[in-house]
Amino acid sequence: MSDDIVSYADVSFSYRGDWLNRIDALRQVTLAVPAGCAYGFLGANGAGKSTSIKLLMGLLHGHGGAIRLFGSPIGDHRLRARLGYLPEQPYFYDNLALEEYLAYLGRLSGMTKAQIGPARERVYQLLDLGDLRARKLKSFSKGMRQRFGLAQAIFHQPDLLVLDEPFSGLDPLWRARFKEVMALERKRGATLFFSSHILSDVEDLCDRYGVIDHGTVLEQGRIADLLGQAPLELTGSGPIPAGAADLADGTWRLSFPESDRARALASLPAGAEILRLERHRLDLEAWFVSRVRAHHGAGSPLAASAASATSTKSRGERP
Amino acid sequence: MIAIIAGATFREAARSRAFLSLLGLYACAVMMSRLVGWISGTDGNLITANMVMSLQSIIGVLVAVATGTALVQTEIQQKTLYTVLSRPVRRWHFVVGKFLGLALALACGQSAMLALGLGYLALTGAPVNAWMVLAGALTTVEVLVMAAVSLCWTSLSSPLLATVLCLATYAIGHAVGSLPQLMYHLQGFQATICVWLACLVPNLSLYEYRDQAVHGLPISPEDTAMRLLYGVMWIALLVTVTVSVLRRKQL
Repeated sequence: MSDDIVSYADVSFSYRGDWLNRIDALRQVTLAVPAGCAYGFLGANGAGKSTSIKLLMGLLHGHGGAIRLFGSPIGDHRLRARLGYLPEQPYFYDNLALEEYLAYLGRLSGMTKAQIGPARERVYQLLDLGDLRARKLKSFSKGMRQRFGLAQAIFHQPDLLVLDEPFSGLDPLWRARFKEVMALERKRGATLFFSSHILSDVEDLCDRYGVIDHGTVLEQGRIADLLGQAPLELTGSGPIPAGAADLADGTWRLSFPESDRARALASLPAGAEILRLERHRLDLEAWFVSRVRAHHGAGSPLAASAASATSTKSRGERP
Repeated sequence: MIAIIAGATFREAARSRAFLSLLGLYACAVMMSRLVGWISGTDGNLITANMVMSLQSIIGVLVAVATGTALVQTEIQQKTLYTVLSRPVRRWHFVVGKFLGLALALACGQSAMLALGLGYLALTGAPVNAWMVLAGALTTVEVLVMAAVSLCWTSLSSPLLATVLCLATYAIGHAVGSLPQLMYHLQGFQATICVWLACLVPNLSLYEYRDQAVHGLPISPEDTAMRLLYGVMWIALLVTVTVSVLRRKQL
């Protein structure tokens, strides 16, 4: 636990609804982000990702359980000097120029005037903001604002980067650039904790993941372990093993998980010839949908739509 | 932290369209004041001087309300404070810094208005004296109290409702001075309401020294200091209320 940069232990939180009603946003959330890792926080819209992040930032309060940042309770505001935060759909002051704004936020993070100049040049270069330095933010497009949002988050070279839907509103070129910048930040030594519902982004960037739905953490672990769940597909000829599909060209195909590899190979009938052994790529989207569907139960409308999405996907993959 | 936030707020407020538009409106209204002086049946110069001094208060309060009501609630609605409060900044740092930045911008605006107004009066031959500078300074205190009022209301309600409540507070604040006389004619519940109103709303009539100043009537230093202290106390109270509201707010 001591190596965890961020940890949530049995964290619950509810919003005030109408009158005396409370709306549960988080239920007994427990997760840990180890130092130096890139943690992808997955969930559908309204699952509780932003609420979890806002609690970490101190923007929401009154939660149950314990949240620790750099090993200390989040109440200590000085800890926030070591983190950078990109909110979801960020808005900024209209009448400040980009360079003024960066200097302002840098100084709030404890940077000296001497540190601000080189740091500005660094983010101008990383995010191609040099030509916009004197422009007021009210003239920025959505994509430019998102670029500025990432620039202000990495400006003071924080130990922890918390990014809430960082790829929102970006074109494919800037999505790729954002991923490069995030990879560079990680190389520098920063820990990444970001929320997304785009699974390919998480697969590209993260080594750990957590799935949240309806305020409950359904699953967390290593991306490598998750991808390792993809089935192996063995194509062979000769005697057909039990459970294999007989193909039209006289061959057969047997699928089994990586964990069953040794047993499956050992149980091949005598004379069976292995033609090829392939690992199929795990369809993360289908995995995520099925995971959430299982949590929702069959009666939920989202479960029904998830079911139809999964079946469409599998039909599409069939040759 | 407070000084950094105040500096950014000052730049943001001083460049805002509402601030600059109302300063422009003041300049136009000052030019028009001569016209009112000419068509008045009495001493045109005194009417012009009175108008110029009153415009500083009215336009100043409008600037304070327009920028003050946008100060906290708009930040919450537009989430601009997320990038500030996610840094090692406490919520009270944010509120106090915001208020000081706005106060600095308003004080600069008031100084510009006073210089422009007195310069215009001097050019047109209307009476100008040192007491008018003091009247302008007291008007600035009134405007700063109104900025604190708008900050407080905006932390409790929407910007639109806060604007209405601020203007109501301004109207009642100027009537508070006459409440003690009114109380002699009232009894029971009505008198109680008068007492409560007098306690709950800042007495802005204390800053109506403009008319006397135009006529060159002096004000004692003790009286000036008391009015100044009264304003500072109200500002401190209102900023404290805003801080306690924002500390509990879910963002």
